[in-house]
Amino acid sequence: MKENKKTLRFYFTLWSMKFLTRSLKLIGKNATHLPGNIALKMCPDFLAQIEKPKTIIGVTGTNGKTTVSNLINDILTDNGYNVGGNKFGGNIDAGIAAALMAQSTLSGKATKDIEVLEIDERMTPYILPYVQPNFLVCTNLFRDSYKRNAHSDFIVSILNKQIPKTSKLILNGEDLISNHLAEDNDRVYFGISSKDTKTTPTNNIIKDIVSCPKCNSKLDFEYIRYNHIGVAHCPNCDYGSPKFDYDVDTINYEEKYIIINSKGEREKYRLIGNNATDIYNEATAITLLREFGLTSDQIEKSLQNIKIVESRFDEVVVNGKKIISNLAKGQNPIACSRVMDFVRQQEGKKAVILEFDDYFDAQHSSENVAWLFDTDFEFLNSDDIVQVITGGPRHKDMKTRMLLAGIPEEKIFVCEKEVDTPQFLDIDKVDTIFVLHDIYTHHYSVTIKNKIMEMLSK
Amino acid sequence: MKIEVLFPELCNLFGDSSNIKYLSKCLPDAEFIKTSLNDDLKFLNDDIALVYMGPMSESAQEKVINKLKEHKAQIIEKIEQNQIFLFTGNAVEVLYNYIENEDGSKIEGLGIFDLYAKRDMWHRYNGLVLGKYQDIEIVGFQTQFTKTYGDVEKYPFLNLERGMGMNKEHKVEGVCKNNFYGTYVIGPILVLNPYFTEFLLKKMGVENPQIAFKEAVVDAYNQRLKEFKDPAVKID
Repeated sequence: MKENKKTLRFYFTLWSMKFLTRSLKLIGKNATHLPGNIALKMCPDFLAQIEKPKTIIGVTGTNGKTTVSNLINDILTDNGYNVGGNKFGGNIDAGIAAALMAQSTLSGKATKDIEVLEIDERMTPYILPYVQPNFLVCTNLFRDSYKRNAHSDFIVSILNKQIPKTSKLILNGEDLISNHLAEDNDRVYFGISSKDTKTTPTNNIIKDIVSCPKCNSKLDFEYIRYNHIGVAHCPNCDYGSPKFDYDVDTINYEEKYIIINSKGEREKYRLIGNNATDIYNEATAITLLREFGLTSDQIEKSLQNIKIVESRFDEVVVNGKKIISNLAKGQNPIACSRVMDFVRQQEGKKAVILEFDDYFDAQHSSENVAWLFDTDFEFLNSDDIVQVITGGPRHKDMKTRMLLAGIPEEKIFVCEKEVDTPQFLDIDKVDTIFVLHDIYTHHYSVTIKNKIMEMLSK
Repeated sequence: MKIEVLFPELCNLFGDSSNIKYLSKCLPDAEFIKTSLNDDLKFLNDDIALVYMGPMSESAQEKVINKLKEHKAQIIEKIEQNQIFLFTGNAVEVLYNYIENEDGSKIEGLGIFDLYAKRDMWHRYNGLVLGKYQDIEIVGFQTQFTKTYGDVEKYPFLNLERGMGMNKEHKVEGVCKNNFYGTYVIGPILVLNPYFTEFLLKKMGVENPQIAFKEAVVDAYNQRLKEFKDPAVKID
């Protein structure tokens, strides 16, 4: 690990940023990024100079990083460990710097024994040379924002260059892309071998791995849960999915538990979610915690008290009709497809309002809409979805995309303004109205929800 | 009518599979042949109306070069014989002389076009494209790690009004030779450009091309054209 001797510049930066953090807090602002950003400008090798705690747990990957790192942090804290992290901050170098700074003394010594750090996979070249995790979790790797992350091969090449040789890897045994990372590192795999009654296998547009990277033969998939997540083997060479070290072999949604088979021991845990994504997140965290050294009893005791903060999902019922707002991260075709898959699986007649045009592009540019064509709008083409409505700068592209997905034109309603979308709702025909929004278009979804609640109250 | 899609298991980035999906809606009776890396190339011996290849990762480019290089002479012959090709994103780079990495190392291409690409993996270029092919206005998006050098004005696909094109210093984009069309425009280029799609279908021998969802597609195209021509709209 690159560790530089502390310089006068480092101390000056640390003290002034600690002062800035305190001042920001006094005026009620979160000091999640800004002090870290300034610190890296004032002292470019700040991350190399600041002292790190004995144990660093890193969590990276495309989806699930925040949930998994929060779970790990909460369970370790509940078990009496002195834990820090970037739970309330950013996951790029500035966020990591801000977190380490906040959890250090005036002389730059770590005040925590353990840091649980969510790490943006694209930014690892700026972080991992200086902050080397003892344990590194990779939740999964998928195609993400084209503009920023290009493609999953690019992210794999970055991670393979950056992952420290000493980091023990916690990897998803059902993700052929991430489970072949840094092949010389010590590692364990988690996976779900149980049949999952709630997840129907999906035929997604995006399949980031179809053929064998070694010999180009078409891979034989034993099963695909979604996109490329599943178990596969090459018919012509030794490439394929690994055996799971931590295997969710039982899921019981009714009685809310899962059983993880680890090295012959079957460990029962409370199920803290209600779908496959939640189970992956929970299994990832449990695998890390078991490898860290917690017993299954210690983990289970903490799970009894834990609740996943669901800021991304909101449900209200007015006069017997449900309005569900759900985050669908814009420019991320996998995330949006997962939400569309969720929508189609819900019972009853449904209307769907889509609000995930890029807010920032809408201010001064014209959004690259290619990602809409990797997103599974086809999932919204079903008999029980009776209306698909969208408003915003890209409404004409959205209409084209929906037509290409086979959604009948009479079900499609588009308009220029996001907040005008509720006018098209045929309330009597639907049981549930879904409002899918991006992080930065959340405010539109709030207005839309309020308008629908007003309509339903009449 | 047969359309051959080259290596869809690798060359499928950035929503480009929608071009084939859209063509299948425009040409419901056409046969779409998906050729994998381990399969034989059909267009070398069969009557194929269009050969399509989409964008791919950098490692996939090397695999594709290895696959195609043994057929270099036949591919040149096919281009000379007016076989229609549409290559999008970085697919065209496999036919360049070489692709240069940041460390100066070079990946030798097929050398069909006297051009070379330089990668800069830490400065990804993202931008909008507005240009003309003959009298057809083309709109689209670029997202890439490379810039192209060499005699880029020798066989351009687009004359640019706005956008980076090959390397910011020339107002041209892509490669066009006979019926070979190579463009860095990614994603649903055929869905976004109804008049080019009609042109291409005619070229492929469709007498009276009926593009799918014409009204909606033209409506979206006109809006995009207006936006891209607006100087207040940032291009990159």
